[in-house]
Amino acid sequence: MLTIVFFALSGLDVLDALDVVDKPSLIEWIYSLQVLPTDDKSNLSRCGFRGSSHIGVPYNSSKGPGAPHTYDSGHVAMTYTGLACLVILGDDLSRVCREACLAGLRALQLEDGSFYAVPEGSENDMRFVYCAACICFMLDDWSGMDRQRAIDYIRRSTSYDSGIGQGAGLESHGGSTFCAVASLCMMGNLQEVFSERELKRIRRWCILRQQNGFHGRPNKPVDTCYSFWVGATLELLDVFQYTNFEKNRSYILSTQDRLVGGFAKWPDSHPDPLHTYFGICGLSLMGEAELQKVHPALNISVRAFESLRRLHEAWRQKST
Amino acid sequence: MHSKRLKKIEPKQFYNLMCLFFYFRDRKEWADLEPVPQDDGPNPVVKIAYSEKFTDVFDMFRALLKNDEKSERAFALTAEAIELNAANYTVWHYRRVLLQALDKDLREEMKYITAIIEDQPKNYQVWHHRRMVVEWLNDPSEELQFVAEILSQDAKNYHAWQHRQWVMQEYKLWDGELEYVEELLEEDVRNNSAWNQRHFVISHTRGYSDSAILEREVQYTLKQIKKAPHNESAWNYLNGILQDGGLSSYPGLLEQVTELQDTCSSPYLTAFLVDLYEDALETNSSSYDQQETLNKALELCKLLAEEKDTIRREYWNYVSRSLQNTYGSGDPVASSSDPPPPSSSQQPDTEPSDP
Repeated sequence: MLTIVFFALSGLDVLDALDVVDKPSLIEWIYSLQVLPTDDKSNLSRCGFRGSSHIGVPYNSSKGPGAPHTYDSGHVAMTYTGLACLVILGDDLSRVCREACLAGLRALQLEDGSFYAVPEGSENDMRFVYCAACICFMLDDWSGMDRQRAIDYIRRSTSYDSGIGQGAGLESHGGSTFCAVASLCMMGNLQEVFSERELKRIRRWCILRQQNGFHGRPNKPVDTCYSFWVGATLELLDVFQYTNFEKNRSYILSTQDRLVGGFAKWPDSHPDPLHTYFGICGLSLMGEAELQKVHPALNISVRAFESLRRLHEAWRQKST
Repeated sequence: MHSKRLKKIEPKQFYNLMCLFFYFRDRKEWADLEPVPQDDGPNPVVKIAYSEKFTDVFDMFRALLKNDEKSERAFALTAEAIELNAANYTVWHYRRVLLQALDKDLREEMKYITAIIEDQPKNYQVWHHRRMVVEWLNDPSEELQFVAEILSQDAKNYHAWQHRQWVMQEYKLWDGELEYVEELLEEDVRNNSAWNQRHFVISHTRGYSDSAILEREVQYTLKQIKKAPHNESAWNYLNGILQDGGLSSYPGLLEQVTELQDTCSSPYLTAFLVDLYEDALETNSSSYDQQETLNKALELCKLLAEEKDTIRREYWNYVSRSLQNTYGSGDPVASSSDPPPPSSSQQPDTEPSDP
């Protein structure tokens, strides 16, 4: 559920409409989703944020300690979106148990460099590599992962066609390509990990995704959300400017629901928070009027990104 | 007078109808368990309008979790919870804990998960669950057929392909896969997942360093291109398998591709030639006249920008500028917004071109 809150909140931020939101209440609720370290700190490897209160743990928005519960653990996508929401809301992250979050993150990384979503085990793929990178970036602390292993995973997931799949051998895909490239950008390693020749090939793969809007894989239908996944990747690779803005914009707008509002993956389909959010972000990449700019790697408004940067400066000053 | 005949209801339907009114909280076999509501504090942000049935099932689920109860009734409840929300990964985890604690019949579980995946083939949790059960049973014997079934309904289902690749690699089940891929490509030569699988199988078996295999693949791909020229997947495959050796040095390739220009023209063919020429320039190949090759590449970029791939007009102009800057003689051509040139770029050739 936190992921849906993220789509709504970040969407409102890009629409410059955050004033409709009760920020203090939301901040409290988000903190109540934090899996807090218990008194004896025996659950550190399970810390992070939950997606919702569905396990039935009693409400607690403080910094701890937490009540032990056999089945209570964080989820990497919820930790990522939880932190992002707090940043968007202007919170200073002072109630985040940073060390616990980072310990929880380390516990999720596999030998091959990819990540599980939860410590109990789950599927592992590029989505969670991205979530992990966002968490480390936002907490300004890369001890949350073995970066080299993550980089190796990304390299091994690069396909013969120079797109990037969810894992080694898997079909290259716009979503996983974004996750990989954005992660490397946040690590500050894009140019070291891929040669210029390789980057050229990745640019080509990505730019071929444009049909009018964008699709995620060759010979698949276009879908609004790829206007962000692929668009942002192209922006990170400095070639988004060479795409056809008119056709992209036309497509995104054609998926708008005239009755209810929002965007869907296709025209005349049901809108949903995900496609609405990424439709807005896709338009923002093209400098759409009245939309805030979106940071293409971290996927929050540039304004929120700047406040995060200021927070990092304050942290660094404090530690010196 | 004849009495009105009631519509015959199947036992399961009858039970489900009854269950609409017979909540877990009212069942005597559950009377010892206090339901646990969700606690979102004083200002709940996301108020989902759960149905009564949903709340009833999940309140009881939370109670079971709290006590970490390991029982048949708990196991039965997980099925109800899954039916209401098959994406709840905590329910699936708890079900797996119970499968082991109660030593449940995993063959039955395979039947169960098969049905759920058929119904919801794009859900992450169900595929992960299936993988766990296969691992516990250490029996992949049904997997390839099952995945083929799912792919017959959606030949590009990413989860299905992911599972298939995992099974093949884990249990070394490579036999017959190339044949399967070819069947799929017969059905739809534009199935990018099938082309990817082709690469997967070959790289894990004979490999592409075997020149007989490489040539076979080149010919196979060219044949598919002739059948459907406007097919990015085939062109990506051709490029992909040849890029390590270098497109410009593969014997006869330029000729074979150029031959296709009249009957099998496509933006992909033209782009392939640009890549081939660029490879000749990059490797400073002695088989190619550098200046002529550069001119041809630039000409093709212009053709793509103006005629064959106009949606990417700006991109092809950018490619053109990059080629000119890297391999051309004379003043660099640039747009101020071009990405910075790589530090290891070749210096422009300052020798005068041949008359």
